[in-house]
Amino acid sequence: MKLSKSKAGAKLPQVPMEPLVDCVFLLLIFFMISNILKIPPPFRVQLPESKARSEFQRKRYSVYIHETGQISIDDQRMANLDEMMSYLLLKKKEIEVLIIRADKNAEHGFVVDVMEKAKQAEIDNLALAVSEDDYTGR
Amino acid sequence: MHAHTHEEEMVVERSERRAPNVDMTPMIDCVFLLIIFFMLATTFAPLPGIRVKLPPPGQPSKEKPKGLILRISNPVGGDDSGVMILNNEIVSLDNAFGVFMNTPAEEKEMLIIQSGRQVIHDQIVQVMDRAKRAGVAKIGFAMVQ
Repeated sequence: MKLSKSKAGAKLPQVPMEPLVDCVFLLLIFFMISNILKIPPPFRVQLPESKARSEFQRKRYSVYIHETGQISIDDQRMANLDEMMSYLLLKKKEIEVLIIRADKNAEHGFVVDVMEKAKQAEIDNLALAVSEDDYTGR
Repeated sequence: MHAHTHEEEMVVERSERRAPNVDMTPMIDCVFLLIIFFMLATTFAPLPGIRVKLPPPGQPSKEKPKGLILRISNPVGGDDSGVMILNNEIVSLDNAFGVFMNTPAEEKEMLIIQSGRQVIHDQIVQVMDRAKRAGVAKIGFAMVQ
């Protein structure tokens, strides 16, 4: 019995590794995507157009501003500016550049209020998102 | 003899065609990989935006800031954009680029947009677009009550 067992053990290391590696890579890709995937805001935002633009990475935590003055960070609705500020304070380590996606018909005064609050949350690098249409990839 | 064997081969081929037994697995694998690739390609595409750098915290400087000051009034009535005044002259979005281009370089260091609260965001972004393309280095915002 002992002999046969040790023989079976010697055969065991011939397990095919490819399916395992395939699986691991697929899981890796899945988690990479699910981390970055665009989280839809609770309302539609129509971004202004501009020819002067820089490029930014898509990351989590961007501020959406609706034309009626509602704010949301990704899909989280914020009741007011102070709630937004405390949320940003919690996440400020994960935010390199805060992207503000303000509707083209939003009030400029309100957009500046949001920028002020971001500054109070110690986020100094901001970007105003512009429309991706007519993008020439300059 | 040769012709006969050839006929036999033909018969074999035909019988294979009648019962196609295609393996679908590699195709499905391929399709899934393509789906994942395009999902990734769209999420990694860069996001266009205009960079805004906030001034460092502290007391706002008391000395009068140098640079251009563009005043934008609140839109009145049915208008969707406010009147813009630069150096006591009314400018429009159409000629703003030319006006910024014609200002001397030392004045182009900074543009302060002094606007009413109700000016819509689009107009501000359009002004920033003209100014950036004309070489204005910094843009600041000021609110008028």
